[in-house]
Amino acid sequence: MPVPMVVRMAGPRELTGKAASPGRACGPAFRALAPAAPPAAAGEDARAALAGAVGVAIGELRALAAGADAQSAGVLDFQIEMLLDDDLMEPALARIARGEGAALAWAGAMDAHIAALVADDGHGTEDTFADVVEGRGAGEDAFADGVGERGTGEDAFADGVGERGTGEDAFADVVGERGAGEDAFAARAADLADLRQRVLDALAGRPRADFPAAAIYVGDDMPPSLFLAHDWSKGGGIALCAGSTVSHVAMLARARGVPMVIGLGPLAVAAGQPLLVDGTAGRVGLDPVDPVAPPLPAIVPAAVAGPGGAFRLSVNLNSLSDLAAVDPATVDGVGLVRTEFLFLSPAEALSEERHVDCYRTILARFPGRPVRLRLLDLGGDKALPGLVEGGPASLLGERGIRFLLAHPDLARIQARAILRAAAEGPAAHGSVSVLLPMVTLPQEVVAMAALFDEEAARLARLGIAARRPPLGIMVEVPAAALTLDLFDAAAFFSVGTNDLMQYLSAAARDNPIAAPLNAGSETALFRLMAQIATTAEALGKPLSVCGDLAGDPEALARLVGLGFRDFSVAPSRLAAIGPLRRAMPAGEG
Amino acid sequence: MSEPSPAFPRERSGARWQTEVEVTHGIGLHARPSVAFTRLAKSFPCAIEVAVDGSPDWLNGKSIVKIMGARIRRGTRLRIRAEGFRAEEAIVALGELVRRNFDEDRKNARADGRPDGRPA
Repeated sequence: MPVPMVVRMAGPRELTGKAASPGRACGPAFRALAPAAPPAAAGEDARAALAGAVGVAIGELRALAAGADAQSAGVLDFQIEMLLDDDLMEPALARIARGEGAALAWAGAMDAHIAALVADDGHGTEDTFADVVEGRGAGEDAFADGVGERGTGEDAFADGVGERGTGEDAFADVVGERGAGEDAFAARAADLADLRQRVLDALAGRPRADFPAAAIYVGDDMPPSLFLAHDWSKGGGIALCAGSTVSHVAMLARARGVPMVIGLGPLAVAAGQPLLVDGTAGRVGLDPVDPVAPPLPAIVPAAVAGPGGAFRLSVNLNSLSDLAAVDPATVDGVGLVRTEFLFLSPAEALSEERHVDCYRTILARFPGRPVRLRLLDLGGDKALPGLVEGGPASLLGERGIRFLLAHPDLARIQARAILRAAAEGPAAHGSVSVLLPMVTLPQEVVAMAALFDEEAARLARLGIAARRPPLGIMVEVPAAALTLDLFDAAAFFSVGTNDLMQYLSAAARDNPIAAPLNAGSETALFRLMAQIATTAEALGKPLSVCGDLAGDPEALARLVGLGFRDFSVAPSRLAAIGPLRRAMPAGEG
Repeated sequence: MSEPSPAFPRERSGARWQTEVEVTHGIGLHARPSVAFTRLAKSFPCAIEVAVDGSPDWLNGKSIVKIMGARIRRGTRLRIRAEGFRAEEAIVALGELVRRNFDEDRKNARADGRPDGRPA
C-alpha cells in the first residue's frame, strides 16, 4: 500500500504551513499531550459512569458558554447539543451492553462517529463507510443503519463540496475568508474529538489541562474548548501539524486575533522551544531570536552501534524510564517494547497522541537502530480497569491479539500511532517493526495486517505522513510454534520463552505448586526451540528470542548452539550477556 | 409561541402535519443551523421527523447526530412532518426557520432558532 513518507530534517529553521489566522506571535512551544488519568469505573457501573461523565462534560461546556461571546457560544452550543443527543450515546451504550468498559466503549463509539463525518469528504477513493461499520461490528446500533442509508449519497455530496464556491459558509462569512474545497462537515470531526477527550477526562475525574499563557500551542489539532478556556490576553499563537481553516478553532482564532498556522506536517519541536508563528505568511520559525540549537536528546552516532560478535544483542523496554538505564551504544536495537506497560490508564491507552509521544521518545533514543514495538498485550495479569479486566481466566482466553481483534478500535488507535511515529523519526528507515502478541493462527496476522493497511490508507487520505512497518509474531503459543511455515503474513518471528514454556507445560510459573513442572519442562522447550530455529532458517525469516531465557548465559549458549543469533534481554541483563558476544566464537551452529 | 403563519404551506393527514421547504442556506445544515433546528424541534412535545430529497427514510428531527449525518445542503428539499400535540405549530415554525436561513444572517443571533436574538 503506497503511503507518503516524510523524513524529518535535522533542525529546520522555518516550517511552511497554511495561514489560518493572521498576525505574528512569539513564545515558548507548548506540546499538546493527552493528560494522564486514573482508571475509570468498569463493569456494571459502566453505564452510570459514562452517564455521569457526560453530565460533567455538559456542565463544563455550559459554564464555558455562559461566559462566552455569541460566536464562541455557538461552538459550545453545538458540542452541548451533541452530548444531549441520545443518538450519540446509543452506540456507546450498546458496546457497554456487549461487555466493554466505559472508556473503551465511549472512545470506540466516538471514533466511529468521527470516521463517519470524515468519511466522505470528497477526497477519498475508497469506501470508508465499510471501515466505520466494520470497526464497530455487526451494525447493531442505529447509527450504523444511518451510515448504510447514506452510502449511495456520498458521491453526490462530494460533488456538492466541489460546486460550493467560497464565502458561502456562515462560519466563513463571519470571519470573511474560507479555504476552497474544504468540507465544513468534516471539520466538525474536531469538535467530536474534543468531546471524546472531554468525556474521557471526566471519566477519569479530572478537568482538562490548560497551558501556560503566552505559549505557542503545538499539536495535531486543537480542541475548541481548550482554545476557549485559555487566556489569550497575554499573547501566544497556534501551530498545528494538521488542522483546517474551516475548523471551529480556526474561526475562533481569527475572531480573537490569535495567530495560527495549520498543515505544518510532523513537527520536530521541543517543549519550551522558542517559536515564531506567522499566521499571515503561513510559516513557523524555530528559535527566531536566539540561534542556540534546540535541546534535542543526545544522539549516539550510528557508527558506534553494537560491538558485534557471535550474536546480535538488543534490549527489552517496559517503560520510558528504562531508557535512562540503557546506553544505546551497547546494544544493536530494541528487541521488544511491551507497550501495554507504557499506558497507566484507559484514557492514556485510548489516546493516539499519547502513543505517538511514547514511540517518538523511544525512537529518538535509538536513531537508525531497529525498534520492535509489540502491540498491547492486555489480558491475563495485564489489566487496565475500564478497558480490560484481565484475570487468570483470560490467560487462555481474550488476550493479546485476540483482545485487539475483538476490540479493533483500540488496535486502530495504536496502529495509527505506530504508522505515524514510524514515518517521522530521524533516520527511521525500516527501523520500526511491529510484534503481534499471543498469535495462534495465521488468519490473526492477516486480519491485523489488513487493519494496518486500512489505517495507513486512512492516514494517506488525510494527508498525514505514515509508514507501514513489517509485522512479525511472538512465538509463544505452541500451536503457532509448530506451524511457522504457515505464517506467510509474518515478516519475522520472536520467541517469547516465558509464555511458551507456560503454555507448553500447562503450568503457571507464578503458581508455587505448578512452578516446578514449568521449570522441569526445559527439555521439551529446547526441542521445540530447535524446530523453530530450523523452520525459520528454511523460510529465510529473521528469528530472535526476547524471553527471559535469553538473559541466562547458560541457556543463551545452548540457544546459540541451536542456531539462534539474535537476542533481546532486560536492561539489567545487558552487563552479563554483552561480553558473551566476543567470548563466543561467531558463526558456530 | 406566536400563532402559526396562515400563509405557510402545509398539509394535514389525520393527526399528522407535513410541509416541504427548500434549504437555501449557503452550506446547508452544518453545525450552527443544525443546533438551531434541533433545539427548536425539541421545544415541541410532538414527534418530529425529516426526510431529504424524496428519501423514504424519516430521521428524528430532534437528533443533531441524525441531522448532521444527513448532510443537508443547499438546494435540498426538506420534508418536515410532525404528529401529536402542537404538530401544526411545529412544522410551521421549523419551516419558517429554514426559510429564514436559520437566522444566520443575524451574526449574533442565538443558536436556538428563536427569533429574539440576544445582544452580542
